[in-house]
Amino acid sequence: MTDSSEGTGPDPARLYLPRRKVAFAGRRGTAVSAVSSVAVIALLVSVFFWAPGGANVRATFFSFHDMWVAFRGDPSKGLLSVGSGLITNIWMFLLSEVLVLAIGLLIAVARVSRSPVLAPFRVLATLYTDVFRGIPILLVVYIIGFGLPALSLGAISSQSPAVYGVTALTISYSAYVAEVYRAGINSVPHGQILAARSLGLTYAATMRRVVLPQAVRTVIPPLLNDFISMQKDTALVSTLGAIEATRAAQIYSSTVFNFSSYVVAALLFLVLTVPLTRYTDHLIARDRSRRLAGAS
Amino acid sequence: MSVLELRHVEKRFGEHPVLRDVSLTLEAHRVACLIGASGSGKSTLLRCANLLEPIDAGDVLLHGQSLSDPRVDPNLVRREIAMVFQSFNLFPHLSVLDNVLLGPRYALGRDRAEAESEARTLLARIGLESRAGDYPDRLSGGQQQRVAIVRSLAMRPSVLLLDEVTSALDPTLVGEVLDLLRDLATAGTTMLIATHEMAFARDVASEVLFLEEGVIVERGTPAQIFDDPQEPATRAFLRRTE
Amino acid sequence: MRLTRLTLSAALVGAALTGVVAAAPSGAASTPSLASCKTSIKSQEHQKGYLTVATDSPAYTPWFVNNKPSNGKGYESAVAYAIAGALGISKSHVKWVVEPFDASYAPGPKPFDFDINEISYTADRAKAVSFSTSYYDVQQSIVAMKGTKIVKAHSPAQLRTYQYGDQIGTTGLAFINSYIKPTKPARVYNTLDEAVAALQEHLIDALVIDTPTGQYMASAQIVDKKNKPLAVQVGQFPSVGEHYGLLFQKGSPMVGCVDAAIAQLRHNGTLAQLTKKWLGIYTSVPLIKP
Repeated sequence: MTDSSEGTGPDPARLYLPRRKVAFAGRRGTAVSAVSSVAVIALLVSVFFWAPGGANVRATFFSFHDMWVAFRGDPSKGLLSVGSGLITNIWMFLLSEVLVLAIGLLIAVARVSRSPVLAPFRVLATLYTDVFRGIPILLVVYIIGFGLPALSLGAISSQSPAVYGVTALTISYSAYVAEVYRAGINSVPHGQILAARSLGLTYAATMRRVVLPQAVRTVIPPLLNDFISMQKDTALVSTLGAIEATRAAQIYSSTVFNFSSYVVAALLFLVLTVPLTRYTDHLIARDRSRRLAGAS
Repeated sequence: MSVLELRHVEKRFGEHPVLRDVSLTLEAHRVACLIGASGSGKSTLLRCANLLEPIDAGDVLLHGQSLSDPRVDPNLVRREIAMVFQSFNLFPHLSVLDNVLLGPRYALGRDRAEAESEARTLLARIGLESRAGDYPDRLSGGQQQRVAIVRSLAMRPSVLLLDEVTSALDPTLVGEVLDLLRDLATAGTTMLIATHEMAFARDVASEVLFLEEGVIVERGTPAQIFDDPQEPATRAFLRRTE
Repeated sequence: MRLTRLTLSAALVGAALTGVVAAAPSGAASTPSLASCKTSIKSQEHQKGYLTVATDSPAYTPWFVNNKPSNGKGYESAVAYAIAGALGISKSHVKWVVEPFDASYAPGPKPFDFDINEISYTADRAKAVSFSTSYYDVQQSIVAMKGTKIVKAHSPAQLRTYQYGDQIGTTGLAFINSYIKPTKPARVYNTLDEAVAALQEHLIDALVIDTPTGQYMASAQIVDKKNKPLAVQVGQFPSVGEHYGLLFQKGSPMVGCVDAAIAQLRHNGTLAQLTKKWLGIYTSVPLIKP
C-alpha cells in the first residue's frame, strides 16, 4: 500500500507501466495483437512459397480446382463427392451419440450399484469397460464389420457397412462414456444421497432424481470431448467399405494423384467439430465462473 | 405408546465401538436433546435410528414395531423418521420449491398440485415463499437450513431427527433456525435433536441425554442435567461448554 | 493383386486415349536411340550402377510369383528384366524396392527409377507423375461367387442392380462408377483381400478387376479346402483404351530410354511372348457389355 497524499511515498510515475506495456494495453493492444497474429500466419504461409518443394506442395495439397472437384465429385470419372460423403459421417455420429448416451449411462449405473441382485451386471459392466477401452476402435470396427456378416444370421448379418460402423462406434464409445458418467456419479457428495434416502426415496429414485441430474451436469464438458473424438472416428468406418468423407477423399487422391481432396475432408471435419469444441469450452468457462461465484 | 424407541443398540465401525448399549424412548409431542462432545456418537445414533446405518445388536422400534424385522422396508421407515443434516444437503440442481416437493412426490407419490400448495404453505411459514423459485445457492446458510427442515416436514413424519443443524452456520444465522425449532416444539412436533446449543436444549427439551464415547452416561430433565448433574463426566463436559 | 488403378477417363476421352498412347507421353521430347541409351542411362540412375525398380508388397500373381519380384517370374517381373536387358543392364544390376501404391504418387523425390505395379495411365495422373508407354493393355472383368444371380443375369440393365465392391483407387472401381453406374454405390475397401473377403461373405455381389488378376482370383485364390474354385469370372468388358504404364518421378530423364526399350520389346515380339507365357492362360473370357 502506498499513500501518495503524504508526499513521502514513492514518485507516482514509478508506479506506471513501462511504455511498451501501455502500447499493448486496451484498444491499441487489440490492434497490436491483430498485427502480430497476421504476421505469424503470414510467416507460416510463406514457408509454402519459400520452400524448394513449395510449389509442388501447393499444387498437390492446395489446388483449388482439385479441392472443388473433390468436394462436388465427378461421376463421369467415377469420383465420389467428399461433401456428400460427409452426410454419412454426420448421420453415423448422430445415431452413435444417442445410443452411446443411453448405453453408457446404463453401464455406469450398473457399475456403481451396490445391490446384490445387480452383482452379475456389475461384474459384466466392469469387464465391458475394461475390454472395450483397451481394444483399438479400428479392431472393433473390423470385428463387427466382417465378423457379424460371417455369422450368416439373417438381418444381423446383412446390414450396410455404416450400420456395422455405428454398432462398433457405439460399443467402443459406450465404454469410455460409461467411465465419464461414473466419474460424474462419484463426484456427487455423499450427503446428497443421504438426504435423498432419508426422505424415503428408493435407490432408483435417488439415482434418477438426485444423483444423475447432478452427475450429468458435471460431465457435459468431458462428454462433449468424447463426442468430438467420435465424430472424427466415423472415418474408421470407411475400412468396411462405407463411402464417407475421408474415403471419398482417398478415392479422389488415388485416382487423380492429388492430395487436395484430403484438405477438403479436413476442412469439412473442422466445420463439424469446431462449433462443438467452442461450445464445450464455453460450457467449461461458464461452469467455472458459476463455481467461483458460488464460492464467494 | 412411544413413537421411537432404541433398545440396547450396539454399533461398531470395524473393531471400534461407536454406540454401546444405547436405549432411549421418545414419546409423542416430546423433544429429546442429545448432548456430548464431537465424536461421542450423537450423529451415529441418529443415523441408526432411521436405518441409514445398520445396527450390530439391539433393536429400534417405531410406534412399538421392531425395525429389525427383515420384512420391514427401510424406505417406508424413513418416510416416518425424517432427518435434517448439519450441512443442509439441499439438492443444488432443484429450486427451493422442488427440494421441498421431492419427497412428497417421488417417495409418497403425491399429486403435484396438492403437494405444491402444501409446500408453499410451509415455505410461507418460514417466510421464504417468495424464494420458492430460487436455487439453494442463492440463499443464506440460515435460509438453506430452514428450507431443509421444511423439506423434512413436508413428509409429515412421525418424528424429526436433527443432527447439529446449527453447527455449520455463521453465528448471526443460528438464531433464525433455533427460533423455527422452538416454534415446532411448541406446536408439538416430536423431535430428537443432537445439539451443542445448551441454552436451546434447556429451553425446548423434555429430556436431555448426555453421551460420551457411545454410552449414555446420564439422562434427565433439563433442570436435572444442567443444574444438578450427578456424573463427574457430565459436570466436566458442561464446564467445558460454558 | 492390386490393381489397375485409374480413373477411366470416361467415354469421350476413351478414343483419344488410344491416340495419346500411340503418340506416347510426357517425359522426353523425342525418343532417343536405344544405342545411345545404353551409355546415357548410367548417369540417370537413382542409385548409380543399379536400375532401381519398385513395386508394392505383397506383389500379386500373375504379375509376380511368390511375392518375390527378383525371381524374374510373373509378367511384370519379366518385363522389368526385359527392359533392363534392352538397356544393357545385367540382371544382377537390377535392384528391387518396396513402394506402397499410396506413396508412389506423393510429391517429393522418389527412391526408385520406375515403379511397376499395375498402374493405369490417365491424363490427370500424368500431371503428378510421368508414365512410360503401355506395357500391357487392360480389360476389366467381373468376378462373382458361383451360383449367384449375376453369373447368369448380366445384361447392361441387370448389371446396374447389383452391389459391387472394390479396392480403393482401382480401375475396376472407376469402371464400376463410370461405366456400369450401379443403383447402389459400390463399397470401397482398403485392400483387395478385404474386398475378396466381402465377396466371399456375400456382402457384395461382384468385384470388377482386370482380366488376368480376375482369372487368377477365380481359378486359384477363392477356393475351398480341396482347391476347388468357389468363384467364377463372369466375363470381361470390351477395352476402353486403358493401359498400364511404368510410373516415374515427374519429368524423369529416364522416360525416353525406357520408352525406347518398350518399343523394341513390342516390336521384336518379346511383350507378346511374355504375355503368352505369364498371362497366356487368361484368354478365353467371354465379352459382356457394361
